[in-house]
Amino acid sequence: MSDAAETLTLFGRTLRDEGLPVGTGRIADFCRAAAALSPDDLYWAGRATLLGRPQDVPVYDRVFATFFGEVEPDTRTLVRVTAPAQEVDLGLASPVELLREKSFAQCSPEELAQLAALMGEVPFRLPPRRARRTQASRRGDPDLRRTLRRSFRTGGEPVERAWRTRRRRPRRLILILDVSGSMADYSRALLMFSHAVLRSDRRFEAFCFGTRLTRLTRALATADLDEALSRAAAEVVDWNGGTRIGDSLKRFLDEYGHRGLARGANVVILSDGLEVGDPDLLAEQMARLSRLAHEVFWLNPLKEDPAYAPLARGMQAALPYVDVFASGHNLASLEAVATALSRPQ
Amino acid sequence: MSYMRPDSVDSLERALADESYLPDRGLATAIYLSLTMGRPLLLEGEAGVGKTEVGKTLARILDAELIRLQCYEGIDAAQALYEWDYSRQLLYARALQVGELDPQERVAELYGPDFLLERPLLQAIRSGPGAVLLIDELDRADDEFEAFLLEVLSEYAVTVPELGTISAAEPPAVVVTSNRTRELHDALKRRCLYHWIDFPDLEREVEIVRLRVPDVSEQLARSVAETVGRLRELDLIKLPGVAEAIDWAQALSLLGASSAEGAPARDTIGWAVKNRDDLRRVEAELPELAP
Repeated sequence: MSDAAETLTLFGRTLRDEGLPVGTGRIADFCRAAAALSPDDLYWAGRATLLGRPQDVPVYDRVFATFFGEVEPDTRTLVRVTAPAQEVDLGLASPVELLREKSFAQCSPEELAQLAALMGEVPFRLPPRRARRTQASRRGDPDLRRTLRRSFRTGGEPVERAWRTRRRRPRRLILILDVSGSMADYSRALLMFSHAVLRSDRRFEAFCFGTRLTRLTRALATADLDEALSRAAAEVVDWNGGTRIGDSLKRFLDEYGHRGLARGANVVILSDGLEVGDPDLLAEQMARLSRLAHEVFWLNPLKEDPAYAPLARGMQAALPYVDVFASGHNLASLEAVATALSRPQ
Repeated sequence: MSYMRPDSVDSLERALADESYLPDRGLATAIYLSLTMGRPLLLEGEAGVGKTEVGKTLARILDAELIRLQCYEGIDAAQALYEWDYSRQLLYARALQVGELDPQERVAELYGPDFLLERPLLQAIRSGPGAVLLIDELDRADDEFEAFLLEVLSEYAVTVPELGTISAAEPPAVVVTSNRTRELHDALKRRCLYHWIDFPDLEREVEIVRLRVPDVSEQLARSVAETVGRLRELDLIKLPGVAEAIDWAQALSLLGASSAEGAPARDTIGWAVKNRDDLRRVEAELPELAP
């Protein structure tokens, strides 16, 4: 293999190590593209063949700068070309990437404001589920009744045919936040996240609890983040108090879940699981919830510590009924949850 | 008959500029690679940045036929590929009942090319290199349609059971656009060359506005571009795109305004901001545009 091909392949592999989905096919395309263009356009050859999402661009820029030298910001042509032939040491990650990985507990108010903007860009689209009922449609199974009806217009001949297909209903997303004292470091960031999520779909709901359950959907409904947060703060009376997860869940299921809010929905509980009340009650309520809901996600910020094991009785009681257990302590993990929710069902 | 391939990225840029489309270097490179390597081009970006325009302009440059497939929720193979003209077949069969006929022959005729409704994908395959296939807003279609499209874009051949296989000797130029309301499948992305179209910077936007609306003065174009740039920094539900900037500039120029301020701007703000919540937001943040 010639030197140039080796360098380009190494470049592709380095991108793969950084987490980009660069397969061998893409690297081959990159080499072909590089051969078809002048060396000045190498940056764009890589952008067109190796990338698939706009958020990969900062990583690409960083690796490209290390391999091939700096690029002029305007025209993105090369200023100088140096091509190392062995593994290279990469520079620091960009500030945005660092912010994604930074735990909410350690963020300053300015950083939280920046995160709020990034959260707004997390795509939150739950795939629709097929319901049993059918509706008129332009394709699908034959609808004999309507076809017959239409055939009257054309003298008994079924010239125009009608179809029916299964209805698609969007799945609801329900967020339940723990705003007790132990979650104080994360509450604000998670509220911002809830606000961003609720904007995606009117049917999504948000609740919070400490010692009692409060419905936050109306408070967070405004477009302006600050207004939403202040309305939420006004509604909740038990900020930074104790945690009664079992009681709150029971209240949720009795008053809202029973009415059909939770049936077939994806429920996301954001809590550290440090329960003050009875763990058996919590287990019972989680069992009820798991029977009603489609999937139950539990996000526990304590999980950011790799040494964490769910030993607390509350968390242990709840865990068997949880489908996806994640940390939710920084933006990167929340984005991963969003991706998991967008999986086709 | 093959389309006229450009020789280099530079000549492609010039050709696009001649047709009033100003690309950045990245976009021109991606288009060039797409034509040279024979792979589809996937363009993603916010609404109004000019993704669809690329397809149309490319058809003019290459002197090729533009075949457009507009995707929507629920689109399937019948609407994209081909469909039998059922009503006509039925009427034909009925009309034949009265005359003398040889059943075998007539039935075979019913499935002949006369009764085949060709939809854009099949048209594009038939035209081969003489066409530019523009698949617009693929993110509005569902997963099954994407998988089906991937198959078509890999083989450029379609089998109609009654008629046989129709294939393209050389593939047409293909441009796929997406507004990124959902993530497209990786398999499709790997098949295509990818480019993300961003909003243009100030200078470029001024150039575009002046190119598209020649009556607009330099001062007005600059003022509009600056104001639209500030609007894009607000947290609006629908950010104004390049198309909106062009429309607004034209509206202001027709009113005889020399800048995007004052009464004319307030009267015509609807060309740039098309959402009620956004309008309220704009009035709050940029008081000079409030009524």
